[in-house]
Amino acid sequence: MILVGAVSEIPAGESVRVQGQVAIAVFNVDGEFYAIDDTCTHQDASLSDGWLEGCAVECPLHAACFDLRTGRPSGPPARKPVRTHEVVVVDGQVYVHETIGTEVEVVGAVAEEVA
Amino acid sequence: MSSVEVQHQQPEPATSLIPTLPGAHYTDPAIFEREQSRIFQRHWFAAARSSDLSEPGNFRTVDVGGESVVIVRGRDRSLRAFLNVCRHRGARLCMEDSGTVRRSLQCPYHAWTYGLDGSLVAAPNLNSMHDVNRDEYGLVKVALREWLGTVWVCLADEPPSFADTVQAAVSGRLGDHETIEEWGIDELVVGRRITYDVKANWKLIVENFMECYHCATIHPELTEVLPEFADGYAAQYFVGHGAEFGEEISGFTVDGQGGFGKLAGVGESHDRRYYAITVNPQVFINLVPDHVIFHRMYPMAVDRTVVECDWLYTQDVIDSGADLSKSVELFHRVNQQDFDACERCQPAMSSKAYAAGGVLVPSEHHIGEFRDWVADAISD
Repeated sequence: MILVGAVSEIPAGESVRVQGQVAIAVFNVDGEFYAIDDTCTHQDASLSDGWLEGCAVECPLHAACFDLRTGRPSGPPARKPVRTHEVVVVDGQVYVHETIGTEVEVVGAVAEEVA
Repeated sequence: MSSVEVQHQQPEPATSLIPTLPGAHYTDPAIFEREQSRIFQRHWFAAARSSDLSEPGNFRTVDVGGESVVIVRGRDRSLRAFLNVCRHRGARLCMEDSGTVRRSLQCPYHAWTYGLDGSLVAAPNLNSMHDVNRDEYGLVKVALREWLGTVWVCLADEPPSFADTVQAAVSGRLGDHETIEEWGIDELVVGRRITYDVKANWKLIVENFMECYHCATIHPELTEVLPEFADGYAAQYFVGHGAEFGEEISGFTVDGQGGFGKLAGVGESHDRRYYAITVNPQVFINLVPDHVIFHRMYPMAVDRTVVECDWLYTQDVIDSGADLSKSVELFHRVNQQDFDACERCQPAMSSKAYAAGGVLVPSEHHIGEFRDWVADAISD
């Protein structure tokens, strides 16, 4: 478990980057917390620097959008999803439970959607 | 003020004719470059109408003193100005004259991405460059002020006092600080904009706007509305003087008829009068009872100046769908007549006949102050 910080330190609409095996971005969407790999799968850019739109984040570089719940991109230029990670809140503290393994399971499904 | 009084107020000048700048000041690219760095980069420059950038993400690019400046309204609704140059490899960020971006200014070359506040938000591979402090690579800020519904920018690291320069020019002409407020210029809206591409040096245009010695010759419609202009004394010859409408004139229009109701704030003493103000180096404002005409001049080359002219009316006049054509036509004709005259002068500026310059008659002597201001600014 990786400590992200106090709930009060991550306002709604904001994001925090923490270091796991890779960088992880944690988002507060109207009080719900989500965590995904921080690096866009299209080009090396930090999704925590991106813009939240509902339950998706838009990469600041080329506008690839990732669903925070599934990690899937909504379409080009990103084709591969990012990993999602479990977030738990205990005693006002936000923790990330990093998904083990770097391979993403839904590649095939996304490739189909995007093609 | 009658024309007789006007003439009595003028003391006899010691010398009737005083010199203009030499011809080379209107034709020499090296002098123009010096003006760019010494005048246009150092003084407040009217770059745009604030309402050109009404929504977050709206931007305009403007050439100021040889630099491209991008003005953008942020998501916090504040206006900011930056040099239009990517900090990475120097590509121009915004190529268009105006437009709308969603959330960022992004360099089209390598995608360095800046927030609308100028901060470097993202760049490819930036996160793996741990030694880079992105705060050091935001866009270079340009000072910005909003006044009279106008966006003023200044490229200087330490801009001159806005009050002592721009606002002092306006109050100096009108006689006090408060009078300009009567027209409520920041609340007026653009009813018509005409952009003139004038093949003349910017100073010919400023000097033309400052004097009225030419009025009786080239401005028949304007002189009909403002008969005292036939005497050759411009409103800018005086402090606090508005040229009075002719007795038969009911509005500041091309045929002297119609017009719109007096602006609510304009006092009786300013009704049926025309006021003109030049703000160095590139603004010319005309105040009449029912509207305001605001010129911004953009020097593009030693022999080329773009003039953007806004006719400003109340929101009510615009909403009523009223026909603005007679109102606009008067000063549009004046502009065309003036710019034709300036374009007639420009080729002659390089003539042997004008190498030492020309002369200013007494009713033009106040141009001498502008001449000296320019000469001082570019001297060592």
